[in-house]
Amino acid sequence: MPQLVKVRPTKIELIKLRRRLTLSKRIQKIVRDRLSILTMEFLRIAREIVAAKQKLLDGMASGFDALSVAAGSHGYLALEKELAGTGGDAGVDTGSRNVAGVRTPSFTLAEGGGAVPTFDLLETSSYLDQAAREWEGNLEAIVRLAELQRGLDVMGAEINRTKRIVNALEYLVIPELKATIKYLNMKFEERDREEKSRLKRVKVLLHQE
Amino acid sequence: MPDDPNAPRPPEEYFAGELRVMNAHLPGSQKTLAGLLAESQPYVACRDDTPHLFRREELKLLAGFLDEQEQRLLRLPMLIEVGGGAPGETRLRCLGPVEEKVVARILEMPVACREGVITLYRPQLAKLRDSLETTTQYVFVFREPDGDQTP
Repeated sequence: MPQLVKVRPTKIELIKLRRRLTLSKRIQKIVRDRLSILTMEFLRIAREIVAAKQKLLDGMASGFDALSVAAGSHGYLALEKELAGTGGDAGVDTGSRNVAGVRTPSFTLAEGGGAVPTFDLLETSSYLDQAAREWEGNLEAIVRLAELQRGLDVMGAEINRTKRIVNALEYLVIPELKATIKYLNMKFEERDREEKSRLKRVKVLLHQE
Repeated sequence: MPDDPNAPRPPEEYFAGELRVMNAHLPGSQKTLAGLLAESQPYVACRDDTPHLFRREELKLLAGFLDEQEQRLLRLPMLIEVGGGAPGETRLRCLGPVEEKVVARILEMPVACREGVITLYRPQLAKLRDSLETTTQYVFVFREPDGDQTP
């Protein structure tokens, strides 16, 4: 049973309540539209994550293959010695995008942000170059996956929040307004009936005199 | 019951505020495709002073559909109205035949621009968003009873 909104039982309040009910219904419609858009976007991002993860897994598999071939060619010790201290910083441009009012992060691998081979190209074989290229390609996939994963988290949180708003409107605000309007209508009708019977009684008394 | 000036706001006021927040991400101004392609980091500033970054691959995709003259006419991000039409229907604001051409190419079907809007249904919208994620933006339209719309 919905609670009643605390208002004075006057006609003016009844009109105000009716206006509030119309407004609430319209807000409910648009928030629902937004919820369906957010859900659509959430599913789209989820699909993209599946594709991005698959791409990354494939890339890593071929990266490890190339690395093991390079290790076979050089030997583990020589490869480790060659690669020691060759780490480079991968530049990532960060920013934000907006999807239906939700700010999602945007990560892009900066131009030339991939690790530059710093090992000795003359001393090493082309197998190592190939492995380095494979792993550089994976960097982009990792950055893209990070962007999507964070976007999915943010979108999920916003969907939950919007759902709560829709539920609050549907199960709390609108039923309360409807119940109060009904209560006020009944009260006014009762008041009219009382007024009529009072007038009738007065009329009878006047006749008796 | 006497009016209490310190009484909490009615929930509807809170929800009306929610609507304002919903559209805070709209771009302050749109930029042409040609202009964005020339920028090193293409973006537009939103009303809430946050930048909205475009993905370069999407800009290149759009550039592939249009000639140089049309690239100067296409304004981005393209705006998709939600809540302004029938249930389940969204509308893409269309300034000219350029938007029509782009949408037709993405959806691989002819579309018609009527009264400045292209009507899109959910599957079409999903397909459009798959291809143009950053170059389209949602606008939530709050239809007033007399037909006026905000924002």
